[in-house]
Amino acid sequence: MNIQTEQFVEVARREMADLTSRAFLQLLPPVIAAMRKAGMATFPDPDAANEYSRAIRAEVVARLPELLEEFEANATARGATVIWARDAKEANDFILNLALERGIKYVTKGKSMVSEELGTNDVLIRNGIEAFETDLGEFIAQQLHRPPFHIVGPAVNVSVQEVCDLFMEKAGMEEPTTDPVELGYAARLYLRDKFHHLEMGITGVNMAVAETGSIINVENEGNIRLTKSSPRIQVSVMSIEKVVPNMEDAMHVLRLLCRNCTGQSISSYVSIDTGPKKDDEIDGPEELYIVIVDNGRSDLYGDVKAREALRCIRCGACLNHCPVYATIGGYPYGWAYSGPMGQVLNPLLLGLERTQDLYRACTLCGACKEVCPSGIDHPSMFLYYRSKDVKGDGELKGKKRDWKEVSIFKLFTLASTLPWFWNMGIRLLRPLYNRNAENGVVTHMSGPFEGWFRTRNLPAIPSKTFHERWKNIREKRSS
Amino acid sequence: MVRNAREEILGKLRAAPKREVSVRPEMSPLNEVALDREQMIAKFTETLFLQTGIVHRVKDNHEALDKLKEIAEAEGLKRVVVSTDDVIAPLDLPSWGEQNGVHVSRARDFKDRNEFKDEVFARVEAGITGADFAVAESGTLGLIHDADQARLISLAPILHIALVPVERFVPVYESAINKIFENGDTLPSQFTFITGPSMTADIQATPFRGMHGPRRIIVILIG
Repeated sequence: MNIQTEQFVEVARREMADLTSRAFLQLLPPVIAAMRKAGMATFPDPDAANEYSRAIRAEVVARLPELLEEFEANATARGATVIWARDAKEANDFILNLALERGIKYVTKGKSMVSEELGTNDVLIRNGIEAFETDLGEFIAQQLHRPPFHIVGPAVNVSVQEVCDLFMEKAGMEEPTTDPVELGYAARLYLRDKFHHLEMGITGVNMAVAETGSIINVENEGNIRLTKSSPRIQVSVMSIEKVVPNMEDAMHVLRLLCRNCTGQSISSYVSIDTGPKKDDEIDGPEELYIVIVDNGRSDLYGDVKAREALRCIRCGACLNHCPVYATIGGYPYGWAYSGPMGQVLNPLLLGLERTQDLYRACTLCGACKEVCPSGIDHPSMFLYYRSKDVKGDGELKGKKRDWKEVSIFKLFTLASTLPWFWNMGIRLLRPLYNRNAENGVVTHMSGPFEGWFRTRNLPAIPSKTFHERWKNIREKRSS
Repeated sequence: MVRNAREEILGKLRAAPKREVSVRPEMSPLNEVALDREQMIAKFTETLFLQTGIVHRVKDNHEALDKLKEIAEAEGLKRVVVSTDDVIAPLDLPSWGEQNGVHVSRARDFKDRNEFKDEVFARVEAGITGADFAVAESGTLGLIHDADQARLISLAPILHIALVPVERFVPVYESAINKIFENGDTLPSQFTFITGPSMTADIQATPFRGMHGPRRIIVILIG
């Protein structure tokens, strides 16, 4: 997938003018948010349930290395093969070589955010192995070469006419239709044949249970179960933070994940694999590979603030509650992860320099933080990124500011800490600043502060400031 | 190279500053834990119905076979695949099929995976399985997959019929999970929670059932 995080503003403008996107953004997030609320109400104490899953995720981040080792040992003991990959290239090379060695012609993919991050499809396709996304929304997004619009509904905004044209051209649909149900059925028939003759399947992992070495997938469509049941070879790709301590914790996180993701109590299917199939079983994988992907995460783990991002379980609740996402949709974020989740993750994984607008496109309202079942404090992460960025932090690849901006803020810092300097500054700047005043209010300004004044006003500086008047009054009284 | 990656990743994680693991907060148990069996059945039926799942209840195996016949007639079933788990095996569905004009196949009737796949993907009109658990919390079935509970039977056909003895009702997921995972030596290669049919709303947020798996699910409770 192309990384387009640098075109944030441009794409956001385009999306704000797109009527279909707008219609969905006005409809979808509030509906899912309401369903989430109803789902949470089934807990005796919803807040306590949320706090408990936050504690689980905090513990995962704190105990990450030991949990990963425990998971590896147990998964291996059950017959799975665990592969560690430092970066996208190592993960993709492993998957590609395995497919080539086994003479695989095509693979099906269960929806996997981490494989989007790795760009696994592109690597396979470039090397002559077809890769079919099988989640309906991902399938459409893949064929249209678009990033996901929403983590739950990656192509929910695509018009039925567009889907119809696409399926006529690429999915062997014979009669045109604009009925979403018939379109879905056409996709079923096309992909069913792929599942039927499948030799190798690739999935993501929602949770990896350290205590038992099991991996858990959560889905509604059945495409992941098919991808794991039909072929002889199963490859499941997980980023390092997917691990949870034990099965009971996994069940609690499962409840929170489903309620936050789609508002369901539980998704249609939750499948838990512990090792490959047994000898006497007729379906399921003979070979099970679990690829544990780092891709930059262990570097940021050394930064105790940045590592908080690893709590994320990819439920998407933050998207549905974000006023910025609700205005611009998923495309401007320019990569696998969108909304506040993407604003937290993309800058860490891609570097602060390439993601400038992501952590700034935020009003710091905190709606995301309030609903987050993982306990991420998004606004404080954004403030942290902003400060690391202007300081030109090496680890997080911050972009320094030019000398003019740096000097202006140095002066401002000095002025706000020294009263005499502030008062002198005001006296010197007053004539310049007040030139733009109309009826005692400054509504616009040219130069470096133009942008600030586009949506804000400031009063003009009075001919006598409070300090000047105060000084006069005191002089009069004492005389 | 792969080995080095492991050491490098874990090395960096171990070298990072340590943080205390805080004590887990208090959380009261779910309301479902207090339900008796009849209440669990009522909750299960009601919740699954919202997912378009139909629940029937019969007294015993004999009535279960009658109910299956009724469903087969109503649905016009001519060819089905069935599991051989401990709920289904005693019912002797192959004989039932002969009496009722339904072709019944089992995983063991096929020489290999590919022949089995041809049957479940392309030929049968329904899959019939038992279930190891029925979870009241969310109208959910729990299936332990093994040689007698092939994965694709409850998944590939367009209709899934599940039979569950009422003794298998449990209130919450943990009750099922604890039973399965209590003995580390006998873990199933796969365990599945199934709640309603396969579904999606990925085109224009319009709900569509039967995306890749069953379009409908019918549950017969026995007892």
